[in-house]
Amino acid sequence: MGIEPDRLQFSWVSSAEATKFVQVVTEVTRAIKDLGPNKNLVKTMPKVA
Amino acid sequence: MLSYIDKIKEISIRLLKECRVEMVIGFRKGTVPMMNEPHFAKSPEDVENFVWDSNCGINLCNYLTNRGEKIGILAKGCDSRNIVTHIIENKIKRDQLVIIGVPCKGMIDKRKISAMFEGEIGEVIENENNITVKGDGFEKTLNKKDVLQQNCAICIHRNPVIHDELVGDLVEEQIDVDRYEDVREIEALAPQEKATHFEKLLEPCIRCYACRNACPLCYCPTCFTDESRPQWVGKGQDPTDVSTFHFLRAYHCAGRCTDCGACERSCPVGINMRVFTKKLEKDCLELFEWEAGLDPDVRPPLDTYRPGDPDEFIK
Amino acid sequence: MKIVQINKENWTDGLKKLSEIYRLFGPVKEDDFHNFLELEQGQLPDLNCLNTRLSPKSIIYPQSEVMFEYTLDENQKDHHILKEVKKDYSPQAVIGIRPCDARAFALVRLNFDTPEHQDPYWLKAYEATTLVGLACESPCSSCFCTTAGCGPYHEEELDLLLIDSGDQYWAKIITDKGKAFLKAAGWTQTVDEKTALKEIKAKKQAAEDKICSTVNTDKLREIETNELYNAPFWEEVSFSCINCGTCTYVCPTCWCFDIQDENLGSSGCRMRNWDSCMYPLFTAHGSGHNPRDTKLHRVRQRFMHKLKYYVDKYDTGIQCVGCGRCVRLCPVNIDIRRVCELMNSHAAAKD
Ligand code: SF4
Ligand code: SF4
Ligand code: SF4
Ligand code: SF4
Ligand code: SF4
Repeated sequence: MGIEPDRLQFSWVSSAEATKFVQVVTEVTRAIKDLGPNKNLVKTMPKVA
Repeated sequence: MLSYIDKIKEISIRLLKECRVEMVIGFRKGTVPMMNEPHFAKSPEDVENFVWDSNCGINLCNYLTNRGEKIGILAKGCDSRNIVTHIIENKIKRDQLVIIGVPCKGMIDKRKISAMFEGEIGEVIENENNITVKGDGFEKTLNKKDVLQQNCAICIHRNPVIHDELVGDLVEEQIDVDRYEDVREIEALAPQEKATHFEKLLEPCIRCYACRNACPLCYCPTCFTDESRPQWVGKGQDPTDVSTFHFLRAYHCAGRCTDCGACERSCPVGINMRVFTKKLEKDCLELFEWEAGLDPDVRPPLDTYRPGDPDEFIK
Repeated sequence: MKIVQINKENWTDGLKKLSEIYRLFGPVKEDDFHNFLELEQGQLPDLNCLNTRLSPKSIIYPQSEVMFEYTLDENQKDHHILKEVKKDYSPQAVIGIRPCDARAFALVRLNFDTPEHQDPYWLKAYEATTLVGLACESPCSSCFCTTAGCGPYHEEELDLLLIDSGDQYWAKIITDKGKAFLKAAGWTQTVDEKTALKEIKAKKQAAEDKICSTVNTDKLREIETNELYNAPFWEEVSFSCINCGTCTYVCPTCWCFDIQDENLGSSGCRMRNWDSCMYPLFTAHGSGHNPRDTKLHRVRQRFMHKLKYYVDKYDTGIQCVGCGRCVRLCPVNIDIRRVCELMNSHAAAKD
């Protein structure tokens, strides 16, 4: 679809795994910051015909 | 394949006379070249109109959804697989159906053939292996094999997987077909290239939804694209909305699509949106060894969990 | 001066001059078929095209058209107010439009320009447009224009009619807009009108003789609406329909639209998008009830609208110009000619 693979990540975190949660969130945010803002599939206002 | 018609009529008349079904769903001759129209017969006399040739590409399973009566239905390989999917998904009951299996050698690609000629095609005459295309100032005989719909050319389930009657001998299945050449090409592109590729592919789309409506899988009472509360996708011609429709629809067909080609065939502007469903078909095959619609007793991969799931995070 | 001769060697030059004044649209082939597109500088319309896949109605009545915009940002003076958007209504010309597609504007006008309501968007765009028709020399086998109130040389709604005559086009002037167009192009060479008209007449006859497909519509007006509405054939007619709406989107005479607001952050717009009687949301009420709830209702609506309600309401014939697009493009081959025949003969039988 033109979305970089790192932009979408899945993990399984139990409610008891606080450290893992923090770790996952940090990881994901870092990966996405590296990628920069998403450019594809972003909607803009319709053009006036 | 042309010889099937006598058997088709004979079976249909028998089923109707014996009151085993209330209607038989088949095709009647179309009003323009290379087109047939899905048609039902409710009495033995109606059966006279039935035809069978290489223009029966529409997926008849689409006409079964939520019907209550007993139905006889003609089913090519792909149709039969969609019928299996319909049974799994409770859209029709097995015992309502008499499946009249039609071993298939592929349907011809109307668009491809039209594009081969400058003028308008006036008539297409078919025999067992060839078609003869006639128009104002031209006449040409083509081998059917060379002008098949792309999905038919790479089909590996030409024989119906489920049937109560058969209209002819089973045909030889194609082996050693590379089903995913086009998908691999797209997979190899970088994300930005993919985005551009899809944007170009979908640019002519007029959002008529013929692709969705021709598909037996798309039977939701209200499709997410039509939903207005909440509104998931904009309804205009914005490219993001258009691609969102196509991507999401493809995902809704994951693990269910049989690559029958009805969607591509019905698109008025000739978009090959099958690349999306084929990618998911390939993933299902590679990740879950799954092909849709082969067995009514096996649950599909998207509603089962197996310990061997390929994704690490879920184990 | 009623007929002007355009030598084909002057064609490109004339178009170049025109492009300084008009936005030019014409048939362009992309991949396997033609569509009307805005011509880029130096791009020529492809007049060898039989007809375009989609009708040119979108040039005047776009599939998605923004009408108003608004902002919710309270720092703006005019927040929460719907403001009309400014649009480009500078002169434009459609070159190579077929007579059937041009006549379609006359049918659609009955809906967009009524004594009570005038649709400003349609009217302004229409006013700004010069329609330069191209007579059909070799109609498709699925065209049935001659029995749908039209024909390969029909002039209604056109400003100019071009007739291909070998090394030159003859341009028949129909309106002042057409005259101005020719002048802007510098095409002024006069011809011996008598000879030209004679030849045009012969060519017209030849083209009309090539139309091999017809419909009968003579009984549609007389029959009682309910007789047709309750006719026994609708189940059979509608069975194969997949309600895709292709027939109505490609049709030059279908006019239905739906209004939508789209919001993005703190601003948004109100737009209209084509709608179709084939769609599940068409005439869906806020309560959830829909009087045209089933496929049969929808298919019947399309044909009854085109071939009965419209006929009764306006008394100008059917809401169809016989372009044959729906016949060629319906994915399941539902053929309006067949349905029209069923309806008309049903009416005849009730006579
Ligand atoms: S998505 Fe297309 S190919 Fe797949 S089942 Fe539906 S119509 Fe057939
Ligand atoms: S059938 Fe073609 S034009 Fe219609 S919605 Fe599907 S891709 Fe778009
Ligand atoms: S194009 Fe054909 S199938 Fe689609 S809505 Fe129209 S009549 Fe029905
Ligand atoms: S109804 Fe069909 S033939 Fe008639 S104008 Fe519309 S698209 Fe053309
Ligand atoms: S009601 Fe249907 S047939 Fe009539 S104009 Fe609207 S979309 Fe076309």
